[in-house]
Amino acid sequence: MMASHTFLSLLLFYLYTLHLVRPIHCSVGSNGFDTTSIPKEEFSEELLLKPLPDHKVLAHFHFTSTSPPSSSNGKHHHLFPKSIAQLVKKYKIRELELSFTQGRWNYDRWGASDPLSTANAKPPGVELWALFDIPTKEEIDATWRNLTHSLSGLFCASINFLESSTSHSTPLWGFLPNDGDLRYGALPREAVCTENLTPWLKLLPCRDKAGIASLLDRPSIYRGHYHSQRLKLRSDRLNGIVIEQTLSVVLQPSDRTSWSLHQLFKKSLTGKCALAKSSKVFLEIEGNLGSQNENILELVGDADMVTNDQHDHSTIYQYNVERYSEHEALDIRVNWKNPLQVSFPQAPLHASRFLMGSGNERGSIAISLQSARNTTKGLYDGSNNCFTRVVIFQVVPWYVKVYYHTLRIYVDGEIRDTKDVVEKINVTPSEDKVSPGTLEMMLRFPCRTISAALTLDFDKGFLHIDEYPPDANQGFDIPSALVSFPDFISRRIYPDSIRSPLLQSYKGRNVVKSYTEVLLVPLTTPDFSMPYNVITFTCTVLALYFGSMVNVLRRRVGEEERLAKSKDKRRPGLIPLLISKISNKVRGIKEDSANQSQSSQPILGPKVVFKVVLIALIAVLGHYFLNAN
Amino acid sequence: MASEKSWSRNPMGLQLRGILSVFFSLSIVLPLSSPSPTMHNNNWAVLVCTSRFWFNYRHMANTLSLYRTVKRLGIPDERIILMLADDMACNARNNYPAQVFNNENHQLNLYGDNVEVDYRGYEVTVENFLRVLTGRHEASVPRSKRLLSDEGSHILLYMTGHGGNEFLKFQDTEELQSHDLADAVKQMKEKNRFKELLIMVDTCQAATLFSQLQSPGVVAIGSSMKGENSYSHHLDPDVGVSVVDRFTFYTLAFFERLDMYSNASLNSLFTSYDPTLLMSTAYYRMDLYERPLNTVPVTNFFGSVMKTIPTDSAYPGFLVARASEYTTTSAETETARAVLEGEADHSKTHSQSEKGLQNILDEWLKLLEGKFGEKDPDMLVAYGLGSMVLLLAISTWLSS
Repeated sequence: MMASHTFLSLLLFYLYTLHLVRPIHCSVGSNGFDTTSIPKEEFSEELLLKPLPDHKVLAHFHFTSTSPPSSSNGKHHHLFPKSIAQLVKKYKIRELELSFTQGRWNYDRWGASDPLSTANAKPPGVELWALFDIPTKEEIDATWRNLTHSLSGLFCASINFLESSTSHSTPLWGFLPNDGDLRYGALPREAVCTENLTPWLKLLPCRDKAGIASLLDRPSIYRGHYHSQRLKLRSDRLNGIVIEQTLSVVLQPSDRTSWSLHQLFKKSLTGKCALAKSSKVFLEIEGNLGSQNENILELVGDADMVTNDQHDHSTIYQYNVERYSEHEALDIRVNWKNPLQVSFPQAPLHASRFLMGSGNERGSIAISLQSARNTTKGLYDGSNNCFTRVVIFQVVPWYVKVYYHTLRIYVDGEIRDTKDVVEKINVTPSEDKVSPGTLEMMLRFPCRTISAALTLDFDKGFLHIDEYPPDANQGFDIPSALVSFPDFISRRIYPDSIRSPLLQSYKGRNVVKSYTEVLLVPLTTPDFSMPYNVITFTCTVLALYFGSMVNVLRRRVGEEERLAKSKDKRRPGLIPLLISKISNKVRGIKEDSANQSQSSQPILGPKVVFKVVLIALIAVLGHYFLNAN
Repeated sequence: MASEKSWSRNPMGLQLRGILSVFFSLSIVLPLSSPSPTMHNNNWAVLVCTSRFWFNYRHMANTLSLYRTVKRLGIPDERIILMLADDMACNARNNYPAQVFNNENHQLNLYGDNVEVDYRGYEVTVENFLRVLTGRHEASVPRSKRLLSDEGSHILLYMTGHGGNEFLKFQDTEELQSHDLADAVKQMKEKNRFKELLIMVDTCQAATLFSQLQSPGVVAIGSSMKGENSYSHHLDPDVGVSVVDRFTFYTLAFFERLDMYSNASLNSLFTSYDPTLLMSTAYYRMDLYERPLNTVPVTNFFGSVMKTIPTDSAYPGFLVARASEYTTTSAETETARAVLEGEADHSKTHSQSEKGLQNILDEWLKLLEGKFGEKDPDMLVAYGLGSMVLLLAISTWLSS
């Protein structure tokens, strides 16, 4: 009765669902227009190659994935990496950037004010910053903590070290203007290797199996002079989530006068990733070659399009990867006839940071700013009213105790009153074992400034014995400082005919900025072997002294001899006695004679024990089998 | 128990030890007579390289070689916890960036395109290691960094680095002591975090590291006895340092011949180490382990099994109505598999041409377990009393 009832209800339910579902199916199936108007997840892959003046080549991989704000499939994704979408949803991230970098971007030679270097040059190690959509500070801190752990699991790196309040900071305007919902942290000594690249590649729909990413041959990349792998995501209600994954590598071709794509990566590009909306390779030559093109270089491989950017800063050759296949792989070969004489656009001031002083007690940090040699005259009109603004942002760990009142600023070698130069300053002093010191400072230099320097004194702190890393003798790294020039915008406008997310992103107003070197501060390291040596030596001396004294005072030779004699007479223990008795019985020897032979023959022989155990076993087994029957 | 521990190597006095072991086994079998209910249904591996600095390249190569082996034999990445104390692959001193070799012929890049390092650099500490073993993490620690094993897990714990008498150095600053390890393992046992655990240690005086273990289901092997050093195998002139340790080298040589389906036993692995080649004596401790080693395939630890539950539909929602049916099917498959495994074990023991004394002992233990396992404890007490009476009778006869 029950069964038939449930069956009936199930049948009814089935019919009902059929009835409900059918019209929806029809509407989707018949109305193709609807499906196209819904924004879909998109993926595009691009590679930009750029010869650098010192015969190196910059390869910049750029992958973009977008996910519309309300996915039609609910929590499911078609192309977009699910792990990232979950991360954004769970931690309410508005913006996030994570970079893994090894090596240092050479601002002097490889450019400092073009969008490529401004946006992609990153400090060595790991840098992470995130903006959250969370109202209270406490919640943001808790979310940041969880975020670092999640990213650490996702990217096989020790990003979780950024969770502690001593390693991240909350800049207000020095890094990026925000309302206190930004968290910034850097790990300058984090190693970057294959294990970080692999999970990064797993976010791509084709991984490194097809398309441009298949060029990424690990030994070739990590042999490079600089590599920086970056993940940047933005999420808002309007556009959904957009992630940009970039990888910049500076490689040294084996031949100075000619190189090709295949030579650089030891792999060939045999077609696009089938899921990518667009797949393009660009070759950008800095400077307007114009008619001298043929005199300087020879290109092997037909470009699909050749254009210049709006201000003729560079020439772009575009190759569409979809035209190529396994039979005809894309290979771009560049043969230099004459060396490239163009110097790359420089930042208004070249920043470098170094340490002064010696010893394990104190020192000072200096940041020097040198005017670039070939600045364009237009920006420096020479009038007295012209000023250049410079923003410096640096985070210093608490064990380097910076005295911010000792700030001294030199302009063109002369010391200046800080009030004249500093326009805006925000200092968060460090708190021992709680938070790092953060310095955000906006300086205003006259345009004619050739060099400027600022110094800050510091004391070196002492760490607790547990806080020293295993290689403390190597010194402690202070993360790079960021120097940005808010009056200078790096942008390049390319013709609209190039539909490329990579080049479009250079249209934006990016402030020119550069990172300084990482500082290596030697701190007092404990020598644990010294107290150990002292203790052992002292103890040895004391033991020798007391031992001999006690010996002299207390020892009585006669008594010892008596003791030794009485020991000989002592009877053997209980078990040997028992065993000897048993053995005597078994052998049928009398007790007295056995005592005589005791010294010559050991009593506890394996044979005897074997016999005893055998008897016991036979007894147990006999008993058991009798009972069983 | 001292003689028990060292039973493995020395054939002299084996007889006596065999008899002693019967005595011990009588005492061991009784409390364990109720067989553990869970089957071996998953595998985990914890691979630890504890040494920092470039000249310890070989320790990382050791660990990565084992990593590659267990992956090849079927343990997936999410069930491997890999701890590497330093970065050798992208080290500035490495002439072969993003590559690590364990042989000077450079035929095999251990640091391939798909390495997942869970703990690296400064994260490799004694604290983190013990946290991984015991599962006591902070709430925010991601799954990839946790050992999520259960009472059906077989765990391989491989450690390499610099050690000494009853300790293993971590990063030149901390030590893991044999007591720490024993405590962690005991805690794991109590939390039902493993069914069986194989500890493999390649350090100097490795055997001392597991001398304090006392949890059942643990088998341990070390590269050297107390007072012995473990040596590296060979130096690669291109890399500039030694690239592999002897013990690991010969372990890998053993595994290179095997694939996922091979039936080589743990015993054949443990007896494959030649002291003259190792320049140290590989020592194994199996007094805590119940199964005879020659019936345990190495793939029980180095390979992987997966628990498969046949379901009618990919979505559990549709299964609610059939819940009872579903449980019976899974139980059936498990019992069927247990029978199959048992048969395999038997055929293996019979196919062995040479049966040592150990085999006979094992058979005897099985028999005893079979006989006594079903009886109630009162019967056993009765047997005990009977044998006591007999012994008493013998002793009175002797003393008369």
